[in-house]
Amino acid sequence: MVKTTMRLTDVSFRYRRRDPSVIREADAELSPGDVVELTGANGAGKSTLLRLLAGLLRPTGGAITGRPAAVGLAPDRFPGEQPFTVSGYLDHMARVCGGRWRPWAERLNMGQLLGVRLRELSKGSAHKVGLAQALMAEPGLLLLDEPFAGLDSGTRDELPPIVAELSARGAIVVAADHQGGLRDLPSLRHWTITDGRLVETTPARTPVLAGKLAGTTPQGPAEDAVGGIAGEPAVTPDTTATTVGSPAGEAGGRAVGGSADVGVGVDGGGVAVEVTVPAGDLGAFLERMRGEGYRARPVSGEESR
Amino acid sequence: MIALSAFRLAAYVRSHRVHQALLALLAALAVVYATRAPAGHEAAVLADSAVLIVPLLAWAARSLLDTEPDRQREMSAALAGGRGRELAAGLLAALTACAAFAALALVWGVLLGMSATPPGPVLAAGIVLHALSALAGLTLGALTSRALLPSPALSIMALVSGFVAMLLISASPLHWLTVPLTVWMRAASAERLVAQLPELAAVSLVWCLLGLAAYAWLRRTRP
Repeated sequence: MVKTTMRLTDVSFRYRRRDPSVIREADAELSPGDVVELTGANGAGKSTLLRLLAGLLRPTGGAITGRPAAVGLAPDRFPGEQPFTVSGYLDHMARVCGGRWRPWAERLNMGQLLGVRLRELSKGSAHKVGLAQALMAEPGLLLLDEPFAGLDSGTRDELPPIVAELSARGAIVVAADHQGGLRDLPSLRHWTITDGRLVETTPARTPVLAGKLAGTTPQGPAEDAVGGIAGEPAVTPDTTATTVGSPAGEAGGRAVGGSADVGVGVDGGGVAVEVTVPAGDLGAFLERMRGEGYRARPVSGEESR
Repeated sequence: MIALSAFRLAAYVRSHRVHQALLALLAALAVVYATRAPAGHEAAVLADSAVLIVPLLAWAARSLLDTEPDRQREMSAALAGGRGRELAAGLLAALTACAAFAALALVWGVLLGMSATPPGPVLAAGIVLHALSALAGLTLGALTSRALLPSPALSIMALVSGFVAMLLISASPLHWLTVPLTVWMRAASAERLVAQLPELAAVSLVWCLLGLAAYAWLRRTRP
């Protein structure tokens, strides 16, 4: 997966020449691994922004640069009126993008759906097909439109870890989501569209801390993430501890990954954060932290608090 | 792109939309070739066949391009790596369907519509005209597909009107302003088809390519 930073520079869009702009002068930057929750009122332009990000629409003003080559798009309503079974459809899509869909079908609990015709699927089942086709290409940019709509509880629980894994591998994920299904993710950014203006309501570098806290208390939106993870610690036996030192001038580290247990300590002008992640994710985690300018290193059991 | 074209062709066949244009084509050919043309009229028969099938091929192309739901078209574009590939895959699939139908019409005409086997140059000219017919049908069908004309009523009216306009304009002194369908038939009746074919093919090809370029340009803002 080629990791690139995606930039929106003064992006505006309107559907017709005399129409008002749906998106106005949006400026934003998306780094590899970013997960963004996009909210806004009905008709605010969330789906339009997703289509702009996907490259399906061309901005009428400004530019979007650095779009990853592989893009996955899961619509809010999967178009079920197609003459294929689920497996037949996914086979075709796999040939289009050169991806593999069976691992994703297993994780999304689609085993009993594979022989069913698309037009016979329930809304939630059709939604799973849309998610599977978006995930199979190992996308560098994953765009999800209301990803939790209609999903059963098992699949709802499975989706945030999937997003976290893709994020840890460097994918950018943008989800238009009213249900807050990704709010437990520690690295979540929050975008809102109001009157065509794109606003980031959670600063990209806000430290999001969970688990054992020492000497500091998370503020604002980070509190949601604390509650979510603290209530559901997911430290597994095969975990490895790392420390993440914040770069100069920043107040703290940012923890990423779906299953993380985090401690924090104040050290001089910066903050040292101890994060426990699954051993298999360690390399990607360290790479990402270092890529963002943090001094990240593995720590031994004796060093670990 | 080939995989996406195959997906769209498979959807066209499995949805049974293929039968709409196919049955209409078979009915038209059965009427046109109800009696075999006498020897010496092979060029005229082949030219008439090539012109007759243009609206049916346009219908086939439009129907194929409209088989895929709009949202699926967006998902396909994202998976295939961009709108350009999705557009090209759709046109390739539609051209394949049009070429198959045009080949069917040609083979039917040669085997069942004539008293004698056409001479080599005439047969070659007939093949070229049917290829141009497939391209003209593709262009007209693409320009009237749902991506550009969401209303089915307006779309089918535009398709029929487009074909009639091609016939009327090509029957006038300004025949070079469109695919000169009427001139194809006139040249064949006057036994000048082989001699005029390079000129007629060039004009026809230019208009088809311009039409396809217009389709691609219009699709920039209509994913």
